[in-house]
Amino acid sequence: MNIEEYISSGVIQAIVLGLASKEEEREFEQLAATYPELKQARSAFEIILEKHAMANGVTPPNKVKDRFLEAIREPSRNTSSSNPPNIITMEKEQVPVRRAGSSRYAVAASVILLAGLAWFAYRSSEQNKELTSLKAVNEKLQSKYNSTDSILSQIIAERNAVTNPDAVVVNMVGTQVAPKSSANVYWDSASKNVFMVVKNMPKLPNDKQYQLWALIDGKPKDLGVFDATDQKVIIKMKNTQKADAFAITIEQKGGAPSPTLDKMQSMGKLKTQ
Amino acid sequence: MSNPVTYTEQELVALLKAQDESSYSYLYDHYSGALYGVVLQIIADQELANDVLQEVFVNIWRKIQSYDSSKGRLFTWMLNVARNLAIDVVRSKAYQNSRKNQDLANSAFSEKAGIALQPGLDNIGLKKAVEKLKPEHRELIDLAYFKGYTHEEIAASQGLPLGTVKTRIRSALIQLRDYLK
Repeated sequence: MNIEEYISSGVIQAIVLGLASKEEEREFEQLAATYPELKQARSAFEIILEKHAMANGVTPPNKVKDRFLEAIREPSRNTSSSNPPNIITMEKEQVPVRRAGSSRYAVAASVILLAGLAWFAYRSSEQNKELTSLKAVNEKLQSKYNSTDSILSQIIAERNAVTNPDAVVVNMVGTQVAPKSSANVYWDSASKNVFMVVKNMPKLPNDKQYQLWALIDGKPKDLGVFDATDQKVIIKMKNTQKADAFAITIEQKGGAPSPTLDKMQSMGKLKTQ
Repeated sequence: MSNPVTYTEQELVALLKAQDESSYSYLYDHYSGALYGVVLQIIADQELANDVLQEVFVNIWRKIQSYDSSKGRLFTWMLNVARNLAIDVVRSKAYQNSRKNQDLANSAFSEKAGIALQPGLDNIGLKKAVEKLKPEHRELIDLAYFKGYTHEEIAASQGLPLGTVKTRIRSALIQLRDYLK
């Protein structure tokens, strides 16, 4: 092994910066036992790194120190820091009862466990406060996301309906009563879905609505009602298995069982007819 | 600082291992700036970085018995405690979710809601030196050191052979050493 080459390979820097594998760390320790210059090289880089970090420090807010000291003080709050910690007293009481070796570890372990629990209890009470407010924010965002998501998937579904190659487009033209009315009906002959795009339909009084009809063998079938002011670009209507033509009439709000034909606004026939 | 006492590293470590409270106060006064700089390079959010720094010192207090001076200097050990914790926080599910939510709040249809690691600050500490590296080196150091990805993960995400990733990182580290001198 060429030790100069090893030193200039960057492996020492990787080890110091925590970027080396466990195997490389072990190899370094083994080699260092033979080549003292390895530890010198490591130490030199560590000092460079430390000096650089010290010179480039950023002063944190004072509250961080207070909270840190409070956190490490917390597990043994009832003993002042100059007194020996609980572990000594408990050990003394335990010694006559049990074999010293095992009880020492057992007591130490339970004190560590207790201290750990106390610390976790403290941490979790602090974190709970934060968590509650985070939860509220999260829930608000979640509901906002859910509604946005459902609107989006609706838009995607409707767009798919319109761009679907099976969709038959029926151009609805205005009648004599309403020459300017116009709308497109998209009828998917495969899924039987009916969508409508309102292009120009006059606003109606509050007690009236437009109603779409499918004409099948001369008989009207109700496909649902809609408003001219509907915010949606594409309106999903009721499905129909068959249609020779579509018609739009003005009806009482909620729709009528059969169309008022003298109020017919627009009509479109299927190209196939 | 406010503490007139200075310790040798050996004395300080002995006091820290004895859980002497005043030694932790000294440790904080002496090293919090350097370690805060390290945390801020990984987590730009100051409030979160404050919490992480506090946790870094609590971790030092909890893990001090595992520090072995034959394996390196105290600062190196603390630096790695700080870096590991900061990366763990950034890569935690809770942090990722909060980032996603923030993205959602900003724009409901954000395309990048998938992985949105908030980069740490670029103008401090080691990152300043990393800026001097060639772009292909800089990118790998950023992923490995500041984001904590393994060489394998980097090789996969960058479409590079594992050997190339390792060689480039090593060569970048040697250059960094020279920049820091």
